[in-house]
Amino acid sequence: MFKKILFATTGTPSCDAAARVAFEMAKRYNTELFIINIFGIPSRSFSQVITDLRTGDEIDLHDDQLAKIKNKLERRYKQQIRDYNTPHEIVLTDGIPHTEILRAARKNEIDLIVMGARTSTQENTGAVNRHIVGRTLQSVARSARCPVLIIGRAAASFWGGISNIVFGTDFSKGSNQAFEFAFNLTKMFNASLHIFHAIDISSGPFEFTKNQEVIEDRIREVRGMIRKRYISKMEGYNDYEIDVWEGIPYVEIVKYARESFADLIVMAHHTKKMAPPEESVFGSNVEQVVLRSNAPVISVNHPARQKKIDNQ
Amino acid sequence: MDKNIFCTPNPVNDKEALDALLRDKRGQQYYDEMKRLKVDTAALQKLLNDTCRSRIRTWLEICAHCGMCADACAFYLSNDKNPEQVPSYKIQSTLGEIVRQKGNVDNAFMRYAMDVAWGKCTCCNRCSLYCPFGIDMGVLMSYLRGLLFSQGFVPWEMKIGSGMHRIFRAQMDVTVEDWVDTCEWMIEEYEDEWPNLKIPVDKKNADIMYTVNAREAKHYPDDIAEAALLFSIAGENWTVPSEGWEETSLAMFAGDWEGAQLQVKSVYDAMDRLKPKRMVVTECGHAYRATVIEGPYWAGLKSGKTPVTTLHYVEWVAEALRSGRLKIDPAKKIKEPVTYHDSCNYIRNGGLSHIGREIMSYIAEDFREMTPNGDHNFCCGGGGGLNGIGKYRQERNTGQKVKRDQILATGAKLVITPCHNCWDAIRDLEETYKIGIRWSFLKPLLLDMVIVPEHMKPKEE
Repeated sequence: MFKKILFATTGTPSCDAAARVAFEMAKRYNTELFIINIFGIPSRSFSQVITDLRTGDEIDLHDDQLAKIKNKLERRYKQQIRDYNTPHEIVLTDGIPHTEILRAARKNEIDLIVMGARTSTQENTGAVNRHIVGRTLQSVARSARCPVLIIGRAAASFWGGISNIVFGTDFSKGSNQAFEFAFNLTKMFNASLHIFHAIDISSGPFEFTKNQEVIEDRIREVRGMIRKRYISKMEGYNDYEIDVWEGIPYVEIVKYARESFADLIVMAHHTKKMAPPEESVFGSNVEQVVLRSNAPVISVNHPARQKKIDNQ
Repeated sequence: MDKNIFCTPNPVNDKEALDALLRDKRGQQYYDEMKRLKVDTAALQKLLNDTCRSRIRTWLEICAHCGMCADACAFYLSNDKNPEQVPSYKIQSTLGEIVRQKGNVDNAFMRYAMDVAWGKCTCCNRCSLYCPFGIDMGVLMSYLRGLLFSQGFVPWEMKIGSGMHRIFRAQMDVTVEDWVDTCEWMIEEYEDEWPNLKIPVDKKNADIMYTVNAREAKHYPDDIAEAALLFSIAGENWTVPSEGWEETSLAMFAGDWEGAQLQVKSVYDAMDRLKPKRMVVTECGHAYRATVIEGPYWAGLKSGKTPVTTLHYVEWVAEALRSGRLKIDPAKKIKEPVTYHDSCNYIRNGGLSHIGREIMSYIAEDFREMTPNGDHNFCCGGGGGLNGIGKYRQERNTGQKVKRDQILATGAKLVITPCHNCWDAIRDLEETYKIGIRWSFLKPLLLDMVIVPEHMKPKEE
């Protein structure tokens, strides 16, 4: 299913949980592992001096410096490199993080991107200055041509047996892709697929949220949509559940995942526009779920690479 | 004495030499070597004889030292009116001296002249506007830079920049393959939301040939996609050249006359090859100056004009808005106070001041002019290559105080900067002085505001 995994890391503790998953998966599925670190963003115009993403300090682009950064990364993942003994390649680059992650994913025909979710602003002083924090995850999840596995909390970092997969849908085009991916994984792991939709009562018209009957009518309607849109494509696979709850979508998904003993949540991240920088940290349901859930989250938005994998 | 490896009068012409120079961290060895770089006075004298014509000699001669230029200079104002920052002093004590001494100057003098030419002047030409004799300081300073470059007295980053142009025909190490691949990548990237987006490469006889700044391919590829979207929305028949796509010229900033000629010829060759009706250059000021204003002379074009009519991006935007090919949704106009930074290279030196105002009249509800503005606006502080020169970073930061105060006085938190260098400089200004502003090119703002024709929208489920 995965032949090439790209692990995007800041090389800081906030990516440790994601590192564990990336190495574990690379070993388990015998894939090539690319570890990419975008260590600095362009500064001083065209010059060779760049701004360190973590500290905000100026650093020079030259061989010694690159060797030092590489060495530091190798030390950080020393144990994983030793324990998992996975073939890996470290890619170091400067640039705008999401641009470089997407560029590397395209260039190396990556099947899965693994990322951490930033939890501490203190770690990324340099990035805070340039409105980069929060945007990287958002931009990569939105644009990547392959699934993006995001590890928020350490508790979500134990990629082991997959028995329960939660697929959260909002019926968008991206959700169709996410469903295909979730269903393929379900078959592969012989798991249970929990198809879930949350009716958003936080932003609807007052009349709608006041009237429980209206909500319940809507629930019935949505269950029908799920049957028509997804179950009909499951070729008789019958280990599934359909659940539709009302509430604030990201809260309901997190609760549902907990109750379903989810090992993995699959969602689409299809926000059309980037949220403004000041809101981007909590910009979407996917990011909220990532930050709150005990399960890892895979965001799937695009069909291109995924189809290619299926055909292999 | 050790032989100089990096700091020599020879330009960088091959990748190996360029990589070696790049490895010299912040030019430490380069600047050490510069201290013992011998001035070839005979060569300098010959160059003066060959190139220092009556115009330059007259300007140096007629300068009355009246000091009218002093208050025009952002560096003079932001350095507590230090007399050494008076433009006439800066040029008389450098180029004036070289000419008077007939090239018979020493190493220490040349290093002083370099500090002035790149560390105390951005070639913004504001002082020329106030000179009662109309002496063109930009021409004088650029000429001085050329003399210094010919002898190897040029800041490390400028030597690298000139080398990049000579090797890659781009200010950064972006090859033709990288460039074309980036265009293809951007189509893939945007295809979901913009299913019909195309970036036609090497299409002949298009109405517009579009050229960019290498930084867009290197670091900001979305800029290319945004340009493509706006051209598509406006229904333009356009193309990008596979070769000759880079419009900028660090060679011009470096005083590398030969490199500047090589670079601009690559763009003119693309015009000849693709025969577009017009060319549009991205939101970059010095690219416009290099290709449209200076370039024809470097390339020896007798008309003094580019092979086909060339527009700065703002001219194209104004035209598209004026003709209604780009329509702004009135509800989406910029509501907050917004100001516009006039780039010296296409406003003061390109005569496009009115264009900036016209655009603002279509897109902003609360446009606040800086004071002064238009042709009289102050430089962002990063022009002339100064943005990228580590040796003069502090000088640049100090010089930006004037721009900082100008922006603050408008009360606007959003600064529109349709120029790569200015965009960078204003960003750095915010980083240094933390005045709480945002900065933007026109393209992303326009994309938020334009009415998208039905055929370009993705089909909803």
